[in-house]
Amino acid sequence: MNIFTLASRNVYRNRHRSMVTTLAMAFACTMMIVFAALMDGFAIGSEHNVVSMNTGDIQIHLPGYRDDPDIYSLIDNADSLVAQFRADAFYATERMFAFGLMASDQSSSGVQLRGVDLDYEPTVTDIDQHIMTGEWLSADDQHGVVIGKKLSKLLDVGLGDELIFVGQTADGYMANDSFQIKGILKSVSATIDNAGVFMSNGMLRELITLPAGAHELVLMRTDRTGDLTLRTEQLKTALGDDLDVMNWQQLMPVINRFLETAHIQTLIMMIFTYIAVASVVLNAMLMSVFERIHEFGIMKAIGVKPKQLIILIYAEMFIQTLLALLIALLAGSGLSWYLQENGLDMSSMADEISFAGLAFDPVWYAALTPNALLMPTLFLFVIAAIAVIYPTIKVAVIQPVDAIHHQ
Amino acid sequence: MFKHLLFCFSLLSLFIVPSVQAESDSERVKMLLNEVDDLWRGQSSYAVTSMHVKTAHYERTMKMEGWSKGKEKTLFRIMQPLREKGTATLKSDNHIHTYLPKTDRTIKLTSGMMMGSWMGSHLTNDDLVKEARLEEDYTAEISFEGERDGQNIIEFSLIPGLDAAVVWGKLVLIILEDSHMPVIEYYYDEDMVLARTIEFSDIQLLGGRERPAVLTVVPADKPDEYTRFVYEELSLNVALKDSLFSLSSLKKR
Repeated sequence: MNIFTLASRNVYRNRHRSMVTTLAMAFACTMMIVFAALMDGFAIGSEHNVVSMNTGDIQIHLPGYRDDPDIYSLIDNADSLVAQFRADAFYATERMFAFGLMASDQSSSGVQLRGVDLDYEPTVTDIDQHIMTGEWLSADDQHGVVIGKKLSKLLDVGLGDELIFVGQTADGYMANDSFQIKGILKSVSATIDNAGVFMSNGMLRELITLPAGAHELVLMRTDRTGDLTLRTEQLKTALGDDLDVMNWQQLMPVINRFLETAHIQTLIMMIFTYIAVASVVLNAMLMSVFERIHEFGIMKAIGVKPKQLIILIYAEMFIQTLLALLIALLAGSGLSWYLQENGLDMSSMADEISFAGLAFDPVWYAALTPNALLMPTLFLFVIAAIAVIYPTIKVAVIQPVDAIHHQ
Repeated sequence: MFKHLLFCFSLLSLFIVPSVQAESDSERVKMLLNEVDDLWRGQSSYAVTSMHVKTAHYERTMKMEGWSKGKEKTLFRIMQPLREKGTATLKSDNHIHTYLPKTDRTIKLTSGMMMGSWMGSHLTNDDLVKEARLEEDYTAEISFEGERDGQNIIEFSLIPGLDAAVVWGKLVLIILEDSHMPVIEYYYDEDMVLARTIEFSDIQLLGGRERPAVLTVVPADKPDEYTRFVYEELSLNVALKDSLFSLSSLKKR
């Protein structure tokens, strides 16, 4: 008789116990798929916020600029460099920064002015899509600015309100002009949320009479699948020591570490959940083996080999796991898909989630990646296989005569 | 007997004299420091000053007029260059308001801006707010007296009092022994590292008496840069109304 047929009959014979075991496995696996999808969603969302909103893949500054953002630390040949990068499979843009005081009617606050290239910034980052209210900058509005979310609260201003900037020009005079709020950004990073004021780089250059050049060059690979470290190194060699080349993983080490360890966190969570599942499986299989010892004795006596008995028990386990997997894949991917589309609204628990200088939206979106489906299912098989080792040994070593007399 | 009495007296004087000496010493320190403080301030003052700033990146000159009353109230307005003419700063108690003619707005400087440069100079906004009086806010002692570099000088070491609103760790002030004119002032930060020096020079007849007309601020970390104030006019103890130091007078040209 076919071992597989026999196994399925055995599973069906005690269908209540089989169902409980299967459902326990299915439930754990579903939870793990959803959890992994949420973690992946968090990791992808964070990377998206870091890279696509602000950092880009690679940034270039003059050495020392990042420690001391001096307005005179300009990359003089920024234009030609950027053109060169664009010819070399990068999207590239220039940025410039200045600091000063922004005042509204009600209050004032120190701000970071961020001059961006209106034509090329959208090729590198998605910041122009990340508007909470209002709209992104436009070239024909010479007084419009887009500001960070918390800054708008700090200054108590809304769309269309006027802001007065006071600072210092590069040639030592007072820089002073009025601006109008065109847009307020969603959360990006702590710095941008609290102090970021975006304007066109032409406006900023005029405001602080900045000479030619840029403070920061931001690059995004046109093909983002390749090895980032390798391309960073290539750029470093090409540009030499006069410029400081860093990729986002080096610029945001804490975030990078966190994202790298996100999978390990999922793994640890999975191990704990599956240990519980394993004990359920072990218990069920042990029960089914012990109550059938008499039966196994007879089978052995009529010439069934220990190896065949082992395969039989594994087949029983396999059938139940497979069933559990089908349920888990359906339920897990369905639930994850829902969370991917609609998100998990955490705003009742925390209004603003900020971590290591990075701000997160209070709505947590899952990401149904192949990894999120594959890891929990593979692990379920492994755990179930380990759990039945002990019952199979028990069956394999049993003496037919003892077994037949076993009550 | 007489001899004995004399001995007793001289013995007594041995105990008394040092304390009398110490008493007059601290009186003298107080007097000298007040003299330095009052050089430019008095009860009230009006001054026309030019400021010359030189940094690695720019060099500029501006001219301003200023009024002060007591320690708390100061108002100054830029006269030149044209680009900034009318820009006025009012310091009243611990607040700084700036009127900006270009945008016709008055803004209040927040605490976050206090350490920022004032008008591109080597002074911070905080320097303007926290005008301290040497004698009131510091514990002073004479750390050197005598001839140094061919001049007879008195050197004071000043440690800020615990409750004084001062950002410095220590001040060292050197004045001339005979005329009591300040020569140089060293500012040390809280880690007792030299942060800046102010040199006093070009002693002239200003506001009825001789005083240094030029103050040069040199940051210790950038010895090639400086901000130089030149007093062109100074009158002390002029009658000033309190209403001069109000937000409405900021805008007047």
